[in-house]
Amino acid sequence: MKLFTVFKLACFGLWSNRLRVLSAMMGVVIGMFAVIVLTAIAIGVKDTLMKQMGSLGAEQILVLPGRVLDTANGQKDLLSGLTNVPSTLTYDDAKAIEGVPNVKSVTPHLETITIAQYDEKNVQSVLVGTSDQYSRVQHANLSEGRFFTKEEQAEEAKVIVLGNNIHEALLGNQEVPVENEESSNEAVQTKPIWKKVLDKLLGESASAEEEASLVGKQVTINDESFEVIGVLAPNATLGSSTDNNIMLPIETALATTDMKNLTKMIVEAASIQSVDEVDGAVFNAIKTQHSEIDFSVVKQDQMLGALGKVTSILQVMLFGITVTALLISGTGIMNVMVMSVRERTREIGIRKALGATTSEIMGQFFFETLLLCCIGGAVGIGLGYAFIEVWNSNIEIFALVLPMWAVKLALYTTFGIGSLFGIYPALKAARMKPSRALRFE
Amino acid sequence: MIELRDVRKYYRSGNRKAEILRGVNLQVEPGEYVAIMGKSGSGKSTMLNLLGALDNLDSGTYELAGKSVHRMSRGRRAKLRNEEIGFVFQHFQLIPNLSVYQNVLLPLTYGRKRLRRKKSRVLALLDEMGISNKKNQKPDRLSGGEKQRVAIARALVNEPSLILADEPTGSLDEETTESILNLFDRVHKNGATIVVITHDIEVAERAERILHLQNGVLV
Repeated sequence: MKLFTVFKLACFGLWSNRLRVLSAMMGVVIGMFAVIVLTAIAIGVKDTLMKQMGSLGAEQILVLPGRVLDTANGQKDLLSGLTNVPSTLTYDDAKAIEGVPNVKSVTPHLETITIAQYDEKNVQSVLVGTSDQYSRVQHANLSEGRFFTKEEQAEEAKVIVLGNNIHEALLGNQEVPVENEESSNEAVQTKPIWKKVLDKLLGESASAEEEASLVGKQVTINDESFEVIGVLAPNATLGSSTDNNIMLPIETALATTDMKNLTKMIVEAASIQSVDEVDGAVFNAIKTQHSEIDFSVVKQDQMLGALGKVTSILQVMLFGITVTALLISGTGIMNVMVMSVRERTREIGIRKALGATTSEIMGQFFFETLLLCCIGGAVGIGLGYAFIEVWNSNIEIFALVLPMWAVKLALYTTFGIGSLFGIYPALKAARMKPSRALRFE
Repeated sequence: MIELRDVRKYYRSGNRKAEILRGVNLQVEPGEYVAIMGKSGSGKSTMLNLLGALDNLDSGTYELAGKSVHRMSRGRRAKLRNEEIGFVFQHFQLIPNLSVYQNVLLPLTYGRKRLRRKKSRVLALLDEMGISNKKNQKPDRLSGGEKQRVAIARALVNEPSLILADEPTGSLDEETTESILNLFDRVHKNGATIVVITHDIEVAERAERILHLQNGVLV
């Protein structure tokens, strides 16, 4: 008998028992759905983190307060080795680094939490005193206006650039932390999904009456009035988003606030080749200004290495969940098929009496399990893909990423499960003696 | 056509070994209509299983249409069942999920005949059995007589040299029994070799020869 005929019999067998098939298939559908979604989450998180870290650029070096301890093999342990000490980095350190050979730029970050006021709205935000290089180094694009200049830095000009969330909140378009008596420490709240979907459906009509922009307007921070000269484009990323920041010249920040110590500095080497040399020179330049080593100089590859550890843990966890899900669904399918073989004992006896060979019976039941797994797997993958699409079009915190290799791997895996767990029921069916099977009640 | 020589069959139950057939000898000529009678537990079913190549002999020889069944592998016995033997069982043994047409087609599915011939053969047989109007129905929608007609059509579809019937009218009323036995007569007249295993004398009397199975031996 041709393989195609056995396959056809298997299809027919499945169709004839479609209710049982559906219940058996649910295990594979749910298992594959979970695997696809978890894979997309793991890869999405990894990609987002890598993109953020990688966006600094290979030629960039991070100067952090505190000391990153070395591991036994002399590498910096960023995951557990960063000591928690108050910052002693100053703007003078940044100026000292500017004199180091092969340093292209130094971008200091002087950060504090503050309340911005406009009209009658009070919005909690992160005030960042920095240099004119900030938007370039942070890859923060402007949606309107401009960034402050070197000259404005020198003049201690009272100008600010708003992060997108802060801009929207001050305009009253978005809920963000507000300063009032009832809830001074409210967490950041973005628009709920249903509201975003509604906004999309309604288009511009929903915000037609809202004020367009704050560029050119005055915003009050710490009782001082600042002119808004630009607004950053949305930059919804994990950890280092600029959306809730207000940027101003570092000289202005030092003059108008109590802030003295830098949160961090981003040093740009002139070329990738000179990174190692600059790394050491920056360290020495700061060391000469400090009585002890209470700072760390970290290169991009060290940051990515630390991130690699986190994502490796994620991948191991994902692998564990995947194997468990597949074993559970595979065992479920096998049990259902074994029950099916038992229930169809008489049918097997009839088929054998009519001339079906052992291999034909085996082939029929094997293909039934295989088809069941493959169809269930395909449905699970499809549902997972649909979930990812819905997530990506409605949730902005990070994008779920489903690479083609993951889809192929999932399909091969379902094929593998079907093959592996289909053998036992098929053998059980094939080994039946026709004379006994015909008498089965 | 059929030649059994000194056939023995045992069944083991724990440490006990029961001899069901104790040296059975049987010769059936082509085109012959034979009935094997016996009381319950006399070994009729065992006899049917051996004649139908559904079970192995423990000793002796079995020749069917010139082929040594006792020496055959499982695969060759399956082929022999498909090509040379047509079964009619007491409880019809139709597959409930398949339609009448699909049940009759089943032996051809496991055979090597071309599709066009298969379809025309099945339709002709359904017509001959008077059930062509039921071809798309499932067995549970049929009466006992109709079910047995489907079973007979299925037994004949591959043009086997031997029809083996196990209590073919055991589940039928008198009127239907008569029509089914008439159908057997017609099949026999067309040249088929028929072996009917029964405990019903009226069924056995339609055969040309009646044999009795007593204490595991044919007399």
